Amino acid sequence: MRPAVGIAVVAMTLLTASPRDLSAQDSQFGIRGLGTPGRWESVRARSSGGAFAPFDALSPLMEAPLADISTLTATAAGGTSHRDAQLGDTITQLRATRFPLMGVAGRVAPRLVIAGGFTTYLDRSWDVTLRDSTVLRGELERYRDEITSDGSVGDIRLAAASRLSRRFAIGAGIHILAGSTRMTAVRRFDDSTFHTVGQVAEVRYDGFGVSGSVLIGVAPGLTIAGWARADNRLRAQVGDSTIALTDLPRMAGAGLLLAPSPRVRFAGSAAWRAWSNAGPGAFDTWSWSAGAEFGSGRMPIRLGVRGGQLPFGPGTKAPTEFAASAGTGRAFAQGRALIDLGVERLERRGGILTERVWTVLVGLTVRP
Amino acid sequence: MTRRRLALVGAVLLAAACVERLTAPGHCPDFCPSGQITVVDTLLTTSINRDSAYRGYVVSYQSPVMLAAFLPGATDTLDGRPIFRFNGYGPRLPVSSVDTGQILRADSARLQVYIVRRDTATHNLRLQFYRLPTTIDTTTTFGAVAAPFTNAPVRTVNVDTLLAQPGRKDTVTGDSVVVDTVNHRWLLSLKFDTAAARYVGTDSGAVAYGIRIAADTLASIAFGKGSVGPVLQWYLRVDSLGMPVARKPGILGTTLANFVFTPPTAPLDSTLAVGGVPSARSLLRVAFPKFIRDSSQIIRGTLFLVPAVAARGAPADSFVMEARTVLADFGRKSPIDARLDDPIVIHPGATDTIKIEVTNMLQLWAADTTHPTVFLLRPRAEAQYFGEIRFYPSKAALRPTLQITYVKQFPFGVP
Repeated sequence: MRPAVGIAVVAMTLLTASPRDLSAQDSQFGIRGLGTPGRWESVRARSSGGAFAPFDALSPLMEAPLADISTLTATAAGGTSHRDAQLGDTITQLRATRFPLMGVAGRVAPRLVIAGGFTTYLDRSWDVTLRDSTVLRGELERYRDEITSDGSVGDIRLAAASRLSRRFAIGAGIHILAGSTRMTAVRRFDDSTFHTVGQVAEVRYDGFGVSGSVLIGVAPGLTIAGWARADNRLRAQVGDSTIALTDLPRMAGAGLLLAPSPRVRFAGSAAWRAWSNAGPGAFDTWSWSAGAEFGSGRMPIRLGVRGGQLPFGPGTKAPTEFAASAGTGRAFAQGRALIDLGVERLERRGGILTERVWTVLVGLTVRP
Repeated sequence: MTRRRLALVGAVLLAAACVERLTAPGHCPDFCPSGQITVVDTLLTTSINRDSAYRGYVVSYQSPVMLAAFLPGATDTLDGRPIFRFNGYGPRLPVSSVDTGQILRADSARLQVYIVRRDTATHNLRLQFYRLPTTIDTTTTFGAVAAPFTNAPVRTVNVDTLLAQPGRKDTVTGDSVVVDTVNHRWLLSLKFDTAAARYVGTDSGAVAYGIRIAADTLASIAFGKGSVGPVLQWYLRVDSLGMPVARKPGILGTTLANFVFTPPTAPLDSTLAVGGVPSARSLLRVAFPKFIRDSSQIIRGTLFLVPAVAARGAPADSFVMEARTVLADFGRKSPIDARLDDPIVIHPGATDTIKIEVTNMLQLWAADTTHPTVFLLRPRAEAQYFGEIRFYPSKAALRPTLQITYVKQFPFGVP
């Protein structure tokens, strides 16, 4: 029991130590577009490459798996990433801590489970410095720009799911997209007769979306899942003025779960997202994942890989990403508390930029 | 052991979690925000209007210094002469606790004057002291005291010679000089003999002196006033029951300290005058464009002024002109906003275009739209220099102009 308390304390400390909430792992690829899309996966699913996300009740990707929740369940996740962003020959080491997931679900009727929570829809935290010069008043003036964005767009989900039969479950959800970023633009001239430029704005975002999903037990040990989601548009406001209205993607995906025995599970999934609606420089994306989970529910071993594309990047081709992940979990207090740990190695490529990321993940699930 | 491991893991995770590092070099345009900081530079050639000059803010007797100069020019000679007066003790002085005695005469007196500004390139600086009528006052003009200055001086002192003396004391004349390197001034202590220091009891003992200066070149200095003004120590003979006794009464300060000069300052014309004695100021009213005021950030503002004539004044006496703004536009009586000032040094003889950085004031106007958009030009030390500069006004071809560099609103929120 005492180790469990220690791990819980560590996990809770990690979840409460950072001032930056509702954020996910960011990327240089998201600077020019709307941001970096979040991963709608619990630590358990992400440790297996995301392959189990369509079948994981605690991952906000699909609603239908919620139907199998029997008791009130709350979960949260946090992660720290160490990112090397390589632009040409320049490597910059970046670090961030994010808390991309929190949710609670419970059964309200024999065939109805509802859930609420939030996850990151788009991360918009970045800080870019630029050294350049311009001719002002006939002189070449050197300056350093620093443009920052701190915040994200959160996806607040209210979902319901029902198991209609032993083999068939459905779910649906509504998504309120809300968030804000504090943006600053600073220019410091080497020539101090030019005063420092400093502009600040609080940009607020809102949007709306709906989703639906289905889970079908094809045969004992074999389950397939399908989901679809449509979001309308992301409105950006500064003060009372609407600055931008950006169409958001429709998306759909499917998954396959194979459980030849209670101690061995394999899964695979794929998803398509029509991000090209978001305007120039945005691409439709495909993503895939495959993973496995071995062992009992008390302390399983999880492995997985995933790959796909990123929606924003330079040039005419979408940047690509590939990740491998592993993890485990531990149940305590007769299964009322679960700690999930994971580690992920990710590589993104696009244009002259390559990002290599190590991410350590911690998830906490409580069933009081 | 398990708990230790867990604690170690927790500590490592906690340390990692608390550090955030997001700053990365940008590579534009691929990996930069779509919006950029846009800098615009514009020259406002017709925005300064309704300008005017006023004189008389600080007159010579209100100046904290007395200006002395002798600078021959091509057409005239700048000649500045300090004049000052000491009131006396009257005809009698106490000789005991109950009796007073008639002041018979002065044995001598010691006059102390401070030279508070000088040119280090000035050599062979000579001071000549003249006795002036005690009727001099604040309205006394150069011409009114021209005649007494043609008399023989009561004392002549060569300051350079005095400085070269051992201990900076002249044992023959009794003069000395103290060099204050901290405040950069000289204290001259000069002995006036009976002839130079005449105490006329029937005239209340008042005396007045004037100073002319000369030097090999650049004869232009300033004498202190007030706490660093001239003081006079009398050494008197007083009648005590028929016996003359020596008395050293208290030190006297001046009751008038002024200076006169020629040629007189030229009257104001259509140009924008700044400086001189009495001091002149100029007001420039600016039509501040709304598109800059309301939706941009000013990062540099420069006021350009073209001298109509070469700046006047003693060659060594460069003076500081400052641009300020006013709290309310009441013309010549506009109260000055003391918060901001942008100074520039004016060199007599110069005709170059004057550029004054006025960024702070433009930013103030942008931040406070109720603030009058008026520049006020004045010398920082009014009536403390002979120097004066005159600029072309807004109705001239070479009118004042304002160059503003500003940044447009950053397109925050645009993907």
